[in-house]
Amino acid sequence: MARWGMVIDLDRCTGCAACEVACKSENNIAPVSAGEADMGRATSWMKVMAQVEGEFPDTTMHFYPRPCMHCDNPPCIRVCPVQATYINDEGVVGQIYSRCIGCRYCANACPYMVKYFNWYGPEWAQSERNHLNPDVSVRPAGVIEKCTFCHHRLQKAREDARAEERELREEDYQPACADICPTGAIVFGDLDDPSHRVYSLKEDPRALRIMEDLGTQPKVYYLRPRE
Amino acid sequence: MQGTAADRGGFARLWWGYAGLGLILTAGIIITALLMRTPPVPQPVAFNHRKHTGELGLNCEFCHVYVKKSAHAGLPDAQTCTVCHQTPQGTSTEAARVTALLAEGDPLNFNKLFALEPHVFYTHRRHVGIAELECRGCHGDIAETERPPARPLVRIDMDFCVDCHREQGQTLDCNACHR
Repeated sequence: MARWGMVIDLDRCTGCAACEVACKSENNIAPVSAGEADMGRATSWMKVMAQVEGEFPDTTMHFYPRPCMHCDNPPCIRVCPVQATYINDEGVVGQIYSRCIGCRYCANACPYMVKYFNWYGPEWAQSERNHLNPDVSVRPAGVIEKCTFCHHRLQKAREDARAEERELREEDYQPACADICPTGAIVFGDLDDPSHRVYSLKEDPRALRIMEDLGTQPKVYYLRPRE
Repeated sequence: MQGTAADRGGFARLWWGYAGLGLILTAGIIITALLMRTPPVPQPVAFNHRKHTGELGLNCEFCHVYVKKSAHAGLPDAQTCTVCHQTPQGTSTEAARVTALLAEGDPLNFNKLFALEPHVFYTHRRHVGIAELECRGCHGDIAETERPPARPLVRIDMDFCVDCHREQGQTLDCNACHR
């Protein structure tokens, strides 16, 4: 059984935010107005956080692309009263919108703040309505949503592999963010499969996981910048 | 001890009261059930499945062209019907009507009968194209019908899917169908 995970090389990330755009486009994430965004109601399953280090003029900037960490021990699933969020056999933390009651316990339990509440029903400009991804639902108001590691792409890749009677290859299943990353900073694959790049990258001396001390066992690894 | 005439009158009134209440409740339940029923699905022509699949031996894929390749099986359009019905076929009045409609340039928009909830992601490709399941497993005896049914012949709900997945040892992961 695969255990899907991600390694993000911070040295390679230029903060271009292509991953953010690709994610929004892939997963039908509706834009909100500037005023709503100021209130913290914007949704961004993949978010590039920026951090400035040093004193002006000797400053460096670091970017941290932050998707859902898909923890092996996710705090969000422990608090969900209706089992709308759960972890599947392959380690993907799912969110079942039709089951979610919008209590937001999970959003508050998540130390990485990657669960988003839909304050409103989605609104798109007329020109964008025919460009929605049919493989992903359009979430209604009042439910929590989150990064799914583009799980629908895995299902499609599996279908293709079965139809062609072959094994699933590493390049068959890549989430939109890893697919688009122009510098190859985001690497995705099976953490338990030695033939996948993430298998060795996660053992790199630069590898770290955010808030590892909480015991959440996230499956998103970062390669810290070289000095 | 015998009850008085007044007592007996009281019981009779009570009995009629209960009977009336029962009647109103039953009528209410029936009316609610009728109102909650899915609306009938109209079709442009009275397509005879039995004639086409049985007597003429056409396979399902002839009209539902994407059944092995895509999420939706697809419905035939005027172009598909034109293959045979451009010239009059058989003796039925409906076949004559199809030819007339095609001559008028009617697009023959058939309507989807078996529709799933929008939060369910089902693909025919996986079930028919790859797993090679039979159509009747989910669609019942649709191939035997002589007129288009107004409502689905089989109620496809989550129990229906999950029972089959359990029997066949297939995935029970929520993400497999809901996303």
